[in-house]
Order: sequence, then structure tokens, then C-alpha cells
Amino acid sequence: MINVSNLSKSFSLTRQQKKELGTTENTVLAVDDISFSCAPGRVHALLGPNGAGKTTTLRMLSTIFKPTKGSIIIDGIDAVANAQEARKHMGFLTGSAGLYARLTPNELVDYFAKLYGVSNEDRDKRKQRLFDLLDMHDFKNKRIGKLSTGMKQKVSICRTMIHDPQVVIFDEPTSGLDVITAENIIQLIRDCKNEGKTVIFSSHIMGEVDLLCDDITIIHKGKVLFNDTMEAFRSQMEAPNLTAEFIRIVNQQKAVV
Amino acid sequence: MMIFTVFLKELKDTLRDRRTVMMMIVIPTLIFPLVMNVFMKVSSSFEKDAAEKKLNIGLVSSEIGALDNELHHLPKELGAKHFIPFTDTTALKAAIKSDSIQIGFFIPAKSDQNKTAMKPINVTVFHDGTDLGMKDRADIYLNYIQTKWKQERYKTLQIDESKITPLIMVYSNVASDKEMIGKLIGGFLPYIFIAFGFMGCMFPAIDLFTGEKERGTIETLLTTPVPRWQLLFGKMGVVVLSGLLAATFSLLGLFVSVEFMSSEASPEFMKIVSDILSPSFIFMLYLLLFPLIVFFAGIMIPIAVRAKSFKEAQSIISPLNIVIVLPAMVGFFPGIELNEITALIPVVNIVLATKELIAGTLEWNLVIMAFGVMVFLASTAVFLSYRKFESEGNVIS
Repeated sequence: MINVSNLSKSFSLTRQQKKELGTTENTVLAVDDISFSCAPGRVHALLGPNGAGKTTTLRMLSTIFKPTKGSIIIDGIDAVANAQEARKHMGFLTGSAGLYARLTPNELVDYFAKLYGVSNEDRDKRKQRLFDLLDMHDFKNKRIGKLSTGMKQKVSICRTMIHDPQVVIFDEPTSGLDVITAENIIQLIRDCKNEGKTVIFSSHIMGEVDLLCDDITIIHKGKVLFNDTMEAFRSQMEAPNLTAEFIRIVNQQKAVV
Repeated sequence: MMIFTVFLKELKDTLRDRRTVMMMIVIPTLIFPLVMNVFMKVSSSFEKDAAEKKLNIGLVSSEIGALDNELHHLPKELGAKHFIPFTDTTALKAAIKSDSIQIGFFIPAKSDQNKTAMKPINVTVFHDGTDLGMKDRADIYLNYIQTKWKQERYKTLQIDESKITPLIMVYSNVASDKEMIGKLIGGFLPYIFIAFGFMGCMFPAIDLFTGEKERGTIETLLTTPVPRWQLLFGKMGVVVLSGLLAATFSLLGLFVSVEFMSSEASPEFMKIVSDILSPSFIFMLYLLLFPLIVFFAGIMIPIAVRAKSFKEAQSIISPLNIVIVLPAMVGFFPGIELNEITALIPVVNIVLATKELIAGTLEWNLVIMAFGVMVFLASTAVFLSYRKFESEGNVIS
């Protein structure tokens, strides 16, 4: 379960950044008082155009960034006050995340299992299951730097799931991937949902959202524009499809501003 | 505590990086044996050439007298030479300029008359100052004749040489050979340790911090339940170890070179060198240099954490090399010693303390002061690294 209340995040601007943005303000508000919640066994889509504040929100949820204001409760744990404990319950997978090219998948997964405090027995069991599921045995002892993009993505999935997290955050996990590799991710998200995990999913691909998500939050310029179930989203649609409706909502907000 | 887990993983990762291994192990180990081998071969070949080289010596004299005769009959041990007569000094100077002759002597008229009258003869020596060693060769020839003729004059005048020698200087060096080596060339050892220690820290520091940012691996690492300070210390441990390993391998290379040289160096020198390289000396050397390497790591890490790319980090840290390593050269100057002021100057203090350590003339209060200063600076640098690594804006690009 994830509960986000009145979450805000502002960043200090350097002189160079102020010049680039053409502002005299010392800070910029990336996320502005957003609230939403994600329930176990459901996939929650977090959508927004580029620069909307999605990644900043997900980084706050994954405790990489500390919020300026607001609260995040993950599996009953206050993730702002007790980030370290909250991390044990979370898995974070991004499309842009790299892997240690000089390690093998086996070594990498072992390393992250240790960092998450997984016992050797549990690690071996889960590793075996994940390697079977993702068909990784052929390349588990090859250097990651020598693997294909699809193989690397499988290693990333393994790394994310080795501690069996109850909350999984996916930040544009399929961006730049081929269809077959993207399908692995989609399958993983479905599996997480079926296992009763709480899933947050950020994507630009509305087809994936339509296929996977139960709930949806649209943010733009750091503010929540829509937050409800997918059924509610579909029922209030004025545009002919999801993509068009998403664009309509964002443009409507632009017109208001 | 996950420091050791992070340390082991980063060490494994670092040792698999060819560039780091080159800078940490291969280059430091091979550089001294290679450089010294080439240096020995080149210098011995130069010495051989110089010894065998037949000098062309120009002579301008108005008469063939005693001095000409003496010059023509100098002993063979003073080197091979060939005399060429010249009519005037202008032609002599031109010949030196064109290197057809290397030394020229102008012997004035009536030199024999002066010799008989026991008066001095003004001999002018022409040489090219840029042709090193030629003036010394001329001095050797003339001093040989000077000594010989002096003896003859004492004999003729029936003078006891000891009676016109009021002072006989006897120099007794109270410094031991170990002290001499320590004070004169002892600065070299900490210099190479510092230079290679810095170089050894540089690539792992950039790779483990800026590299993680560039590759996008830092984000996943920060979502693990390991406190940031433990991640920092695990990584920093590898940076420090790499610096120490690079320095150690450079010393090992130097040791191998000295062993290789041993057939050509005197046994006394070799005994002093092996006395210096005792286990207690090596322990003390590492004790002194350890905070310095931590200090290096501590100033590189904040730069590496803040830099957005490998190139940016490298472009800032590389010039820092000059700022840090240049003061280490102070150890090459024989007059500068560890005192209450130099003990407070970072890098310089450790170099001078190491020099004193080699010479066996340590003053413990000064060494403790120097060590204390470096521990303080190293701790400050580590704290600075911690602050930078804690800052989310620096870690995530």
C-alpha cells in the first residue's frame, strides 16, 4: 500500500539554471501538493508529459529524494522519517538505470540480495525461480557489458525482485526497448499484480497503461489533474481514445494557466 | 554494516577495469625498472663514449717550449687526445665553435723564459661552455703539469713543501652514510609514493562516483536499505586501497630496480639501502602516508560526486595533481627540514617526516604534529565527501 499526501518538492536553482529558465526565483517547484494512494493487487499509472514531475515523484517514493513537504506511507512505514526501513519493502526499476557492466548477472543479483539483507537460502531460492522464469541460465555467468539490451533488462528485473518487495515502482521501464523485451516487463507487472503487490507504473505509452492499469493519476507542472480508477477515466472521456483524452486534459490545464 | 560488502563489490569491479589496473598496478610496477634500465644503459654508454672519445686540442704558441712539450706528453690515463697547431686565437675560437676541436690553449711568448725565472705563465684556455666537461678536462691537464712543476721548483729552491703549507684540512663527516642518503636523496621515496598514490586514487574515485552517475547505477544503489555513509565508506575504502596499491607497486618497482642495479652499485650503498628498507621503516612509512592517501581520496570524491561526466571530473582532478604533488618535490632540496612551521604544511610535512625517517633523525614531537595535521585534514576531507554524497542534488544528475 502507498499513501501519498500533500507531497511537494522544490529544488534550488544555480545561477546557470536561473539563466536557462529565465527566472529570478531561487527555487523551482517540481511537485506541488499532490496526493494519491495505491492499493495492493492493483497497478497505478502515473502519467504526465515530459517535465510534469513524474520522475521527481517516483524518486521521492523510492526515497532517493526527500520531499520538501508532505508524507509518504509505504506498507505502513513513514518513508520520509524512516527511509531505510521503507526501502526494504520497495523495488525500483527504471528504463534509464544502468547495470555494473564488469559484473556477471549472478554476481550482481547476489550483491543486491546482500544489500537488501536477504538470507543466502532465500536468495538462492528466489534467484533460481527468477532465472528459470526469465530464462537467464545461459548468460548468468557472462559479464553484463557483453549482454544484449533484452538480457540486461532481465538482469534489472532480477535485481529489482530479488528481495521480494511488496511495493514495486516502474519508471518508464519499457522506454527504448524492443517489443519482446518490453513484453517481459509487462509480464512482470502482471505477475506482481497477481501476487498482490502494490505497483506504480509510469509510462508514455497509453496502450500499456490501458492494458495494465487499474488506477490512474495524471500530473502536469507538478499538480494532479486527474486521480481515479481507469473505469472512471474511461467513463468521463470526451476524446475518442486514451491518448487523445490524455492530451485533452493536459491542454485544458494549459489553457487555464 | 554493509561497508565491507560494498567494498568487496567495488574492489572486484575496479580490478576488472583494465584502465584502473594499468594505472594502479602495471605502470607503477614497470616504470622504475624500465626508466632505470634505460637510464643506466644510456649513461654507461655516454660514459664509455666520453672516456674513449679522442679530444682534438688546439694549440697557439709562438715557440715550441716546455709547456707544449708537457702537453704533448701527458699520460695516456688522462684520456686520448690529438694536438693541432693554430696560428692565432681567432681561428682557434672558430674551430671550437664548429666543434672541429674541443679545447684550445694559448701559450704566450717567453713562456720558457718565465719558467726558468720561476715566474707564472699565463695560459688561456678556450672552451665551449655548452660542451659539458671540456673545461674540467683542460683543468685536469693543466693541474697535472702544475703539480709536476711545483715539485720541481720546491726541489730547486730546496723548500720543504710542508713548511709552506700552514694548514692541512682534514674533514670528518659526522653524519652516517644512512643520514647522508636520507637527507640527500630521501625525498625521492615519499615523492614517488605521493605521485603514484594520487594517480592510483584518481581513476577509481572518478569511476566509482561519477561513473556510477553516468551509467545510471547510482539510482538503484540508493534505493537499497543501506545508509549512504556506508555506501560512501565502502567505495572510499577502494579508492584509498587503490592509491596505496599504486604507491606500493611503485616502491616494489623501485626495489626491483635497486636489486637490478646492485651489480653496479657499491656493496656499502646496497647495505645502507637494505638497512633502510626494514619492516619497521616500511610500517612507519605507511603510517605516515596513510592519512595523506585518505586526504587525496577525500578531496577527489566531492569533485567526482559533483561532476556530471567522467571527462568533467578528470579535467578538474588532473590539474589538482600538480598542486598536490608539486609540494612533494620540496623533499629534493637538501636544506629544507621538518620544523614547527613545515610540520603544519600538508604534503610537505609528510615528505620531510619521511626524509627524517630514512635518515634516522626523527624528532617525534614534530612527526606527531605532522601526522596530526594530516589526520585532521583527512578527516575534514572525508566529512566533506560525506556531505557531498548525502546531497541528493549532487548524487543524481
